[in-house]
Parts: sequence; C-alpha cells; structure tokens
Amino acid sequence: MLYTVSGVQILATLDAFDELEQRVKGGRTKIGQYIAALQDPVTGTFAGDEWGEQDTRFLYGAFNALSLMGLLHLVDVDKAVRYIQSCANFDGGYGTSPRAESHAGQIFTCVGALTIAGRLDLVNQDKLGAWLSERQLKNGGLNGRPEKKEDVCYSWWVMSSLAMLSKLHWIDGDKLSEFILQCQDPEGGGFADRPGDMVDVFHTVFALAGLSLLNYPGLEEVDPVYCMPKSVTKRCLGRSVAGGRAQGGT
Amino acid sequence: MAPGIFYHDDPAWSDVEPIPQEDGEHPLAAIAYTDEYSEAMSYLRAVMAQNEYSERGLELTEHIINMNPAHYTVWLYRSKTLEEIGADLHAEIKWLNPTALKHLKNYQIWHHRQIIVNKLDSSEGEADFIATMLEQDNKNYHVWSYRQWLVKRFGLFSKPEELQWVEGMIEEDVRNNSAWNHRWFIVMGGRDGKELPEAILKRELDYAKYAIRKAPQNQSPWNYLRGIVRYAKLPLSVLKAFTLEFADLARPDEVFSSHALDTLADIYAEENSQKEEAKKALDLLATKYDPIRANYWNYRKKLLDQPEAVS
Repeated sequence: MLYTVSGVQILATLDAFDELEQRVKGGRTKIGQYIAALQDPVTGTFAGDEWGEQDTRFLYGAFNALSLMGLLHLVDVDKAVRYIQSCANFDGGYGTSPRAESHAGQIFTCVGALTIAGRLDLVNQDKLGAWLSERQLKNGGLNGRPEKKEDVCYSWWVMSSLAMLSKLHWIDGDKLSEFILQCQDPEGGGFADRPGDMVDVFHTVFALAGLSLLNYPGLEEVDPVYCMPKSVTKRCLGRSVAGGRAQGGT
Repeated sequence: MAPGIFYHDDPAWSDVEPIPQEDGEHPLAAIAYTDEYSEAMSYLRAVMAQNEYSERGLELTEHIINMNPAHYTVWLYRSKTLEEIGADLHAEIKWLNPTALKHLKNYQIWHHRQIIVNKLDSSEGEADFIATMLEQDNKNYHVWSYRQWLVKRFGLFSKPEELQWVEGMIEEDVRNNSAWNHRWFIVMGGRDGKELPEAILKRELDYAKYAIRKAPQNQSPWNYLRGIVRYAKLPLSVLKAFTLEFADLARPDEVFSSHALDTLADIYAEENSQKEEAKKALDLLATKYDPIRANYWNYRKKLLDQPEAVS
C-alpha cells in the first residue's frame, strides 16, 4: 500500500496518468482495484498488504491515492469513516486503531481521510484543536504526544491537521518557523528532527511542507491533506471529479 | 570480500539460481544496497518464485530481517514458511525477543508476534518481555499497542494484575501518557459505554487526583480526570474544589498548573453567572501562563459571548 500510494503521488505530481494508460492499459483502474481489495470488509479499515497489518495510516493512504485517481467509489467510504470515528479517544485525539493512544501522526491520517471523505463534521474540532495546539513547546517546536520531545516531522503532522480544521492560528507560527529553521544544516542544506542532529530526506520534506503552511516566502503552497503542492492536487481533483461524474453516469 | 554472509559459494545453496533486482537500464534513484543485502535478496526472490518453504529459507529471512527489519515481504514469507514446515513457535518467540530489542522503532515485528502468539494461544511470558522492551523506551507506541492486543485477545480487562502493572508504570513515570491511555483502555475499554460502578468511579477520580498532586503541570492525568467526569456524565463542577488547589483567581500570581486554569475556565463557563470569572481565567492563560497559544484562549473567550457556550 505505502509504495503504491507514493507511486500514485509521483504520477500525479508529474501529470503522468495518461502515460500510465498508454503503457499499461487500464493501469489506473488496476491500481484502484488493488487498493480497494485491501479494505477489511468487516471493519472498513485497510491493511498495508496481503500480510494483513492494519493501521489508520493505510486507510489514509488508500483515500489519498484513490481520490487523486478519482476512484474513491471503489471502496466503502462510509464504513471506513465509521472506523475512523471508532478511533477517536477520550482526550480528543486519534490512534492507529480503536483506543490506541492519541498520536499526532495518526491524527493527520484520520483527519486527512475524513477531509477527503467530506466528513469533518464528525470531528469534535475544538477539542481536537486544543489537543493539537497543546503540542507546541516553549522552544516553539511541536511534539507528537504529551510529554514527548519536539521533532520537525510533527511540525507537519500537527500543523496540517490544524490547517484542515482551520485552526492553524492556534499555535505560534513565528516561534515554530524559528524552530524549524534551526533544524537546517547550513552546509548540507537538509533538515534534521531537531537542531544539531543528522539531516535526512524524511525530515527535510516535512520541514519544507511545514514552512509552506506557515507561508514562508519563496515556497509553493502545500495542500495539507496530501502533503503535495496545491497546484498538483487542484489539477488532479478538478479532473477526477469530472471523471467520477462520467463514470457515475455509465 | 567484505565480511558477512554470502550464498554464491555455499554448497547448501548451489541448486538455486539467484534473481537479481530489476532496476531498468538507467535507474533514476537506485538504492545503494550493500553487496551482502543485494545477494541475500536475490536468493530470497529465487526461493519465493519456487514457493520453497524450508529451514534454509527461514534462515535466509532471518539474515535479511537483521539487515532490514522493515521489509514486510520478508516477514510475510517467513510467516508462511513457519506454517508450512510446522516450525516450533516457541523457538520463533525466542528469536523474536532479541530482534525486537535491536529494532525498537520497527512496526512489522509486532504484527508478526501477534500472528505467532495468536497461534500459540497463550500469553505466557509476554508480560515479562513487554517489561523488558519498555525498559528501553517506556513510551514505545508499538509495545503499548501490542499490550492492548494481548488484553483483548486473552480477555485481561478485569484481571487485577493488569491494573497493578499499569499503575506501577505510572508510578515510575507519572508523565507517561501511554500508561495513562492503557489505564483508560483497561478500565473503560471492556465496558462499551456502560455505566461505571460507583466504587470504580471513585477509585479512578482519586487516582487521577493523586497523580496530579504529584505533578500538577502534566496533561495526561488532567485529560484522564476530565475524561472520567465526562464518561460518568457528571458536571465539571465536581472538580471545582480540587482545581482551586492549583489555580485560584484570588491568587493570580500563584497558579501551579495551566491545565487547572483551563479546567477552572470550563467550570465557570458551565455556570452562567460566572462568565466573567471564566474570562479572567482565560486571560491569565493567554497573557501569563500559556501565551504561546493566546489565539486559542482568546477563541475560547469569544465562545463565552455566544448564547450556547459549551466547552
């Protein structure tokens, strides 16, 4: 699932779905069917592969890729949405499965999937927003769970979730920008999890995406639901809506 | 030759034609695999293509997992092999223990363990191993998730040892949110929304308060305390006297917990005549005790002016 989602995201970014069709006839539908087959018919959540590991990460991945291809109708969206609801915790957050500890990364996947499904109305937004904004520490950085250390990747998981809930202003953006910038290696260029650590691609992506959400000058606008440039998701989603309608009519 | 395990000159593998990775002619972003890893993977592709389930295949997966434990295809094949050859699953657990300790952040190991322990149909020894894992990192998400699975699989919700254990974890580190979540899981999780018996309600309220008194500026027990009050459908005002121990508007310079002040604001907001007090508490948070989230506190203040201000 995870590699498939990355593959779809790359194809979307390169506007290459047509080329995929030329090379593999019905390629897009095949991808969609592969993903759809990973949905658990009983609970509505998704497995990562035929091995069967389940996690709200995979559910989000499925919604991400299917929506980019305009194929969300291949899965039982309502059932998946009910599953996400069952992952809501007493503190307002969401975990990997029902009653698993609230975790900012999992919250991103749950809120992202609900946003794609158009069901943010099911979220206790004030309570979740409060929990998310509570993640900011005095040094400006964000952690992923209470009493954990700050890490640049949570800049993304927390901020994107706040952005989807239109509550990004509930944290101090200037302090967070400052923290993220401190994590850059001025010679190597990339970003690390926290200042002074070794840089890597993973943290660099989330640092840049986070800075983009904070309107840092010179960066393209990022889509908080997909972690891709807004120009790309606009193009894909605009087209897939049309595609969905055409298919609905047949 | 670099040190490591290789197969091409191993007589036990001479019957296998390895299948190298197909990257195409000009790979855009070829991964710099080590020779050892590349070769082991090409032998794995070969045995998988033959649907070979064997002892040597098992050893091969062990070798690859030690180099890259996140490769779920290898786990899948290992799992199938164990089943096909009827391997000793206790031996598998014995091997898994040090492997998990070596790869603390790995997801796949835990799914594999679930499959094995599910087949063994016994949780014996698992609690001890979990304790060893949590000594390395007492907030390890995978380990706590696995513990939840064990409780569900073997029906341990109302086992006194489970509560005693998690209480011990909280005693060790009162700021361990994972342990608090587990307490919620065992106390409420098996209950499916059914009413809490009076004695358990009192026990849980007392425990959360005891923990807050140890460290008032700690979000976990506050969330827990308020969660219990909400679950029992009690008014928040039952916490008023307790909350005032840490935050009293009469002594605005002596607030010991922003969470207490937050709770106090909600208590006042619940009582319609006390909205000015609620605003004062939120002002203190926005200006003095938690200014980094001033916009959030100011939003809460605005809600008070709306006819139906519910927190």
